[in-house]
Amino acid sequence: MDQYPDENEEFELQYQDEMELLEDMPHEYDAVDNGPSTSRQAAAALEQQQQKANTTVAGFKDVSRFSDSTLNSPQLSQITFGARQSDSAGGGPVNRRLFGTPRGPAVGRGCSTPMQRMPPIEEVLTPTVDRTAPLLNAAAEQLQELGLKANNKRRLERDLFGDIDDLYHESYEDPMVKKARTEEQRDNEAIERILELRRKMRESSKTVRQDEVSRLRALHDFKMKNLSYEIPTWPFMALQRSDLERLYVRFHSEEYEQRQLEMLSARDNLTGSLLGEAKQQVWQEANELVLRRMAPPTQLVNPEPVAPSVDTGRLWVDKYKPRKYIDLLSDEMTNRSLLYWLKMWDKVVFGKVFHSKQEQQTANTGVAASQQLNSFNKRTGKFESNGGWRQRKARQALNTNVDELGRPMQKVALLCGPPGLGKTTLAHTIARHAGYNVREINASDDRSPEAFKLALENGTQMSSVLNEDKRPNCIVLDEIDGAPRQSIEYLVKFVSDGIFSKAKSKGAKAEHNVLRRPIICICNDIYDPALRPLRQIAFVVSFPPIDAARLAERLLQIAHKEHLKTDFGALIALAEKSGNDVRSCISTMQFFNAQKHCLTLQDVLNNNLGQKDRHQGLFDVWGAIFRIQRPKKQLQQSSSNNAEEAAQVTMTNMSVATRVRNVLDVVHSSGDYERLTQGVYENYLQQRMPDPNFTGICEALQWFCFSDALQHQIARQQNYSIYPYLQYGFVVWHLLFATLAWPKIAFPTRGFEFNQKSTNQRNIFQSLRKGITTSAQGVGQGNILLLDTVPLLKRILSPQLRSVAVQLLSQKEQYDLRHTIQVMVDLGLTFVQVKSAEGHYVFQTEPDLDTLCSFPGFPGLTLPYFSRQLIAREVDLERIRRAAPKGGSADNATKSAAAGAAGATGAPGSKQKAIAARLPNHLQTLKPKQISDFNAPPKQQLTKDFFGRVTHKTTAAAAAEEAKTDAIVKSPIWYRYKEGFNNAVRKDVHLNELL
Amino acid sequence: MALWVDKYRPRELSKLDYHKDQAENLRNLCKQSDFPHLMFYGPSGAGKKTRIMCLLREMYGAGVERLRNETMNFTTPSNRKIDIMTVGSNYHLEVNPSDAGMYDRTVVIDLIKQVAQTHQIDVNGQREFKVIVISEGDELTKDAQHALRRTMEKYVATCRIILSVNSTSRIIPAIRSRCLGIRVPAPSEAEMIAVLQNTCKREGLVLPPELAKRVVEKSERNMRRALLMLEASKVQQYPFTAQQQIAELDWQVYLRETAAQIVSEQTPAKLEKIRDRLYELLSQGVPPNLIFRGLVEQLVNNCDMSIKAKTLEYATQYEHRMQNGAKHIFHLEAFVAQFMNIYKKFLAELVMTDDF
Repeated sequence: MDQYPDENEEFELQYQDEMELLEDMPHEYDAVDNGPSTSRQAAAALEQQQQKANTTVAGFKDVSRFSDSTLNSPQLSQITFGARQSDSAGGGPVNRRLFGTPRGPAVGRGCSTPMQRMPPIEEVLTPTVDRTAPLLNAAAEQLQELGLKANNKRRLERDLFGDIDDLYHESYEDPMVKKARTEEQRDNEAIERILELRRKMRESSKTVRQDEVSRLRALHDFKMKNLSYEIPTWPFMALQRSDLERLYVRFHSEEYEQRQLEMLSARDNLTGSLLGEAKQQVWQEANELVLRRMAPPTQLVNPEPVAPSVDTGRLWVDKYKPRKYIDLLSDEMTNRSLLYWLKMWDKVVFGKVFHSKQEQQTANTGVAASQQLNSFNKRTGKFESNGGWRQRKARQALNTNVDELGRPMQKVALLCGPPGLGKTTLAHTIARHAGYNVREINASDDRSPEAFKLALENGTQMSSVLNEDKRPNCIVLDEIDGAPRQSIEYLVKFVSDGIFSKAKSKGAKAEHNVLRRPIICICNDIYDPALRPLRQIAFVVSFPPIDAARLAERLLQIAHKEHLKTDFGALIALAEKSGNDVRSCISTMQFFNAQKHCLTLQDVLNNNLGQKDRHQGLFDVWGAIFRIQRPKKQLQQSSSNNAEEAAQVTMTNMSVATRVRNVLDVVHSSGDYERLTQGVYENYLQQRMPDPNFTGICEALQWFCFSDALQHQIARQQNYSIYPYLQYGFVVWHLLFATLAWPKIAFPTRGFEFNQKSTNQRNIFQSLRKGITTSAQGVGQGNILLLDTVPLLKRILSPQLRSVAVQLLSQKEQYDLRHTIQVMVDLGLTFVQVKSAEGHYVFQTEPDLDTLCSFPGFPGLTLPYFSRQLIAREVDLERIRRAAPKGGSADNATKSAAAGAAGATGAPGSKQKAIAARLPNHLQTLKPKQISDFNAPPKQQLTKDFFGRVTHKTTAAAAAEEAKTDAIVKSPIWYRYKEGFNNAVRKDVHLNELL
Repeated sequence: MALWVDKYRPRELSKLDYHKDQAENLRNLCKQSDFPHLMFYGPSGAGKKTRIMCLLREMYGAGVERLRNETMNFTTPSNRKIDIMTVGSNYHLEVNPSDAGMYDRTVVIDLIKQVAQTHQIDVNGQREFKVIVISEGDELTKDAQHALRRTMEKYVATCRIILSVNSTSRIIPAIRSRCLGIRVPAPSEAEMIAVLQNTCKREGLVLPPELAKRVVEKSERNMRRALLMLEASKVQQYPFTAQQQIAELDWQVYLRETAAQIVSEQTPAKLEKIRDRLYELLSQGVPPNLIFRGLVEQLVNNCDMSIKAKTLEYATQYEHRMQNGAKHIFHLEAFVAQFMNIYKKFLAELVMTDDF
């Protein structure tokens, strides 16, 4: 991947990523630079020279490895020598079978599968004195070839295609046929192919299982070759067994004897039986060798030419980090979806066409590719765990997959998942795989909004000068959930701003800001509140946990490479114990390696290693408190010393002591005691408990009181020395209420609601208190006002009024009304019209007296709508009157108001008018304008009632009517605003003022 | 001045309706044109505030009645802004520091300093000190009280403090010793009936003596409550009848119903319903100790003699514990559960003895 994909490789690119995977493998040899050569013949010639001169770097590199361990070791020859004795050609098939690779006809082209060109092992194993020469020969040849391939991309392509041709000929079928196949199938195939490839790699490394079989077989072979019950054809010596059976033991030549002796002496340092551990080790090494040849990427993780066991300085976690796409342990769908997203950037970043929808029609793969994922989703439903991927994909599929610039609609990918699953690794690997240079910004960097801005702009708009292969940048924002909120907001703006500026103007300046590089964000907790804006625009990839078996296989590979003795079961247990955290598993293994070179199931089970403080959800904790764990099967160490039977399946111990410990562990890990307590408190009564006498409940409640007291003390005095005692309450509650049944646990909302309601009430009460005028100090303060006055006040403010006009109210009603109004004004209360939740208007007290001190089942203010309306108006009037300037006029004003309210007082009209004229404008109320003039009073007074009879108003009423007429009301200037007329904004202007 | 409580509140010491001897003493106190710090204590609705206002009027004249509302701002050391509403005249200032909650210490210190450090400009004919009235003084935290004790001595030349408290037990001894305690006991029933009758007469209403007696009983000898109840009754139904319904306090009724439910059924499900009701009471601002008291009174009334003592014992125990905690609901529920426990046991024993 040292150059971008170009036009010529479009086909390959569009095709399958897997091709690139294959391509990747030889590239691992980049480090070994053998110099250019253009043809295989030349290479061969060179190789010969190098072999003779023994100067090749590659030669040295691997010779050191081979000669010190693998092929040189006598044990290896032991496997095959029997076969050689009887059947010189037998080794080949055996090897082929073991390595699971058919010997293809195209030996010369199998560059990616060097196995095919690999010389048969027995060829190497010829018992000559100078065994190193052919060995070197073989190894150098291999490496030479691979090195050549890496350096010659052009030629490699041909090789590659040829290679693929015979490996995956089905991908070269007729386009028509291809079209006919559904996209799903094709995607399936692609995935299956990757999985197949992985499986092969895995099989080749599964040495332990094969080892058992092969060991037995070798033993059997050995017996068959050297012992016989009948008289054999080879030279023999007869022996008699204790059961009088006769055996014929093979006689060997002196040369052979010599070799055996050598072998024995060489094996001195090795312990164990003839074919025991020593052979296992041989097998490991043999397999390793084969594997290295067959699948270079996984093998050559350590490019340094030293033996792995010597290399102790490095952390294994770092050393065995996946370097290539195919090494990734994470879920294949996850990997692919992210890679697909990254590939969608190709058009913008590399300026070359990726599967944009229209172009796909001709290339006839892109449409498939873009829709594959959708259809695939639908069928398997696998993407459903991947957050909004599916929906968003569907939405994109509706319009276009890419925006005008050819960028994907989601400019940011957000990887989320618990730690140790390889999110960072995936992001790095995939970015590199797609041809990017990774720029990582993580928690250790300065992530203030300014620094963030700088990093983002530098990363997306510039390219590093020092970057020799001129790759474009891909920004990886690691651990973004810890970034400040402003930074994330900036990121969101940065990402979406590009669209706006583009939309606004087509100018070059606008396009300058457009984001042209992919950004990958990584977080642990996707529901972090700071990430909310990002979550909505990002392409969210959530990480499913890694398969324990798959992880264990990888661990096994590492164990082999590091010569750590272990077995598959132990590794599975380790993986499970660590919650499939790759990092912690590898670290644990390294720890054991440093200790004693052996990792057994016992170690894993005994040790607390690899166990991390996993965060548990609140519901898990409550579940653990309210539920007795059912005894479950568990691997447990037995007392016997036999290593083979160290693991035993037993039932977990469910004694009280264990339960107590469990609860303490769980509660301790969660830590949020206050919320946990609240949760237990609100749920414990729902648990099924045989507690007829309330003794258990009483005890539980005593503990609640105790923990409350503790928490109060801690909060008040900041005395955290008593904090540890908080957790014992949970133990008591567990012992009291836990059952085997699955507990129904609801989230505790009651406490929260209570707090909210209290706050609300307090606020209303405060506003009520603020409104109380100085003339109503007798209602008390604080609690007295709330508890004594407010409930009674509601009664006092609920007079019984009939729904008639004010003038028609009885005397008592008039009195009550006036009293109510006075009280309300004193207390600063009023009625305001608000729209209720149902949509109709209601009059509500302001501040809301009704909600204060109101209990379900008790009447509040019993005033009907009409009365409230009436009172509201009168209260406003009264307020205005009180606010009127003090002095003589105020006195009159109140008197007139009283007259108005009482309905009938004999105040002379002229005086009224004078008062009204003196009132400022805003204090005057609108009065109906008299239709007729003063000269037609009798006409006016002739009013008729419903039945047409003439009624006569009393003179007093007439006076009152007159009092209402207002000089200013008569003024001709009215303002019309929206739906009504108003003379409130009005000023008398004389013409001479204007002139 | 529309509510009867305000309208017919005595404004002068000479016009007080009861505790006339005490009124005389207060007048004598004022005659020396100076008085020490005072602490009026007595149950709610006994007339403490009335007496304080009368005393101030006696001291400063009618000017104290020209009240104005004022909101004062304070900043706590932790940079939190608090608004405190005060009512005051030129001569005095009335505050309720419990509004500030746990920050009342700041309020006490700042407020008193503010007031005390400003001397009266117009000295002739006026007193040289101002008065600070602290209502609900027993709600002051210990911190605030300790802050108060020094300022009380330091600024004694320029300000006097009048505390109005319900119970002296929550006032630290240092403050108690610095103040002249004046006990205002709750009025007797006869005195209250007289006040009610007097009020009705001035309102031009006719109050049947039975009704007056019933109102006084319902009001638990709380003058304010009695007047409000009477007024509410008047609104509900005027020509008064002897047996007419008297408006009661909702929360008291609610609490009574809760207690009745506790006695009626003892199951976890019921306990949960009770919890809801307790939550309701607490969220409406009813203080937990009042809830405790109301519950205990009702429960003790409703249960058998043999478990009364136990109920009271547990009530004291849980009420005491509640003071050390913050989540009152736990303690209330614990008490309810404990009562249910002993009540159930009692019922079971009853059944046993009946059977055999």
